[in-house]
Amino acid sequence: MRMFFKLLKVEGILAIRSIDGILFGICMPVGVILLIGMISGSKPAFDGANYTLLESSFGALITVGICATAFMGIPLTISDYRDKKILKHFFVTPVRPDMLLLVHGVINMIISIVSAVCVFLTVKIFFGYEMRGSTVGFILSYFLVMASMFSLGMLVASVCKNVKIANVVCSGVYFPMVFLSGATIPYEIFPMPLQHFSNILPLTQGIKLLKGYSLGLHQGNLIIPIVVMLVAIVVGLGVSIKTFRWE
Amino acid sequence: MEKKIANEIEDDNESIIEYSTESNIENSIVISHLTKCYKGKIAVNDLSFSIKKGEVFGLLGHNGAGKSTTIDCILGLKKFDKGNISVLGMNPVKKRKVLFQKVGVQLQESSYQDNLKVGELCEEMAALYDNSADYNELLKKFKLFSFKKRQISGLSGGEKQKLSVLLALIPNPEVVFFDELTTGLDTVARHEVWKQLKYLKEAKTTIFLTSHYMDEVEVLCDRVCIMKEGKDIVSGTVEELIRNSPYERLEEAYLWYMGEEAKHEDVF
Repeated sequence: MRMFFKLLKVEGILAIRSIDGILFGICMPVGVILLIGMISGSKPAFDGANYTLLESSFGALITVGICATAFMGIPLTISDYRDKKILKHFFVTPVRPDMLLLVHGVINMIISIVSAVCVFLTVKIFFGYEMRGSTVGFILSYFLVMASMFSLGMLVASVCKNVKIANVVCSGVYFPMVFLSGATIPYEIFPMPLQHFSNILPLTQGIKLLKGYSLGLHQGNLIIPIVVMLVAIVVGLGVSIKTFRWE
Repeated sequence: MEKKIANEIEDDNESIIEYSTESNIENSIVISHLTKCYKGKIAVNDLSFSIKKGEVFGLLGHNGAGKSTTIDCILGLKKFDKGNISVLGMNPVKKRKVLFQKVGVQLQESSYQDNLKVGELCEEMAALYDNSADYNELLKKFKLFSFKKRQISGLSGGEKQKLSVLLALIPNPEVVFFDELTTGLDTVARHEVWKQLKYLKEAKTTIFLTSHYMDEVEVLCDRVCIMKEGKDIVSGTVEELIRNSPYERLEEAYLWYMGEEAKHEDVF
């Protein structure tokens, strides 16, 4: 345990020092929700909606931290450590490199949770947000979305041979996920064709699930998102276990 | 190959019993008939040697002779096709958790995490071992203490190399592997590293090293093995190797054994 916390401390300092995770995972969603709240917070999400744009955006922006860590933090760190043979070096110590992966999993989880808490505190303090739906359901959904996105991030880390390829793939996955899934720009204001495209992104389904619980919408519609999340976990973990290379 | 390692999670108790009964054996490392092929090409060909406790053993040969592959096989990083390997009486793949408490390793061309500082790297490595050495003492001995708060990326090539040697000593090892011990070091730094190795030798640490510098091998090694194209072409003490050659220095004897003394003379 001492060893785990020591690794967590050193690798955690490195994560803070590299600033990307903090900037894209925490500062960005807080900034966006502040802007949305100030510009059109009390307006309805779309014509005829019985909830506001801010209420609707909360369930979406809370996933930006997950998205940044799953599609930037995890795959880039793992492929960088693999390229530098840091993972290989752990094979000649009493500790297995899995421990290093676990440590990074926990660090990224912490960044995501801190991001979610910051987004929540921002809407609560500045705009007096109250959740309409089930808090427990919302929190469980949040962790389900996290697990499925992290699994997809592991998949990217496993499939990419080196850090250069990982960089390209991460940008190709991260930016569409963060802008087209409704995580930053509200899904409701997309034109219909874009909404159709957006629906095929796994994160869109995750956000629907989170919005469903935060807005207290009809639970029956949430079966598809839950299934998509579970499939993402099975496929992501399955493929990464099959294809993962330590060096 | 690593997946294979992943599947072999060892039973701790069993490992400890085996370790305690076999730790007094005379030979620290025993390699017999090691053979390793890459896609049909033989990288290591029927290599056998044993290294006694407290001995300094040098594995020599050109780049691509199979030295690093041999080290990787010994450390359990690569699967091999034939042969047996035992380090401190243990199978390095099956007993890695126990074995690597007592084994220090410096791999060729080590690189580290971005933005990592010298002190943090030492702290992280020390945390992996039950009985780690005091890394502040090691940093002082290697004249790196003043760099403790510096980022590793800001160190010179020689300082990084010294750091990688130092890291191999953090476990307080009984056996230590150095792949290209002093490549990139200036003369002063090489002598500092040699001094530390002599202390290790006095403390009966078994040292396995590869090097391209014959002066270093003459100073440090008790016994050497010269490899060519994966094969052991000659092995013995440094004195024996020189005595059995027409030359008086190991560098010339080495070239003679490699069958390259003619080319060597052309140069001069």
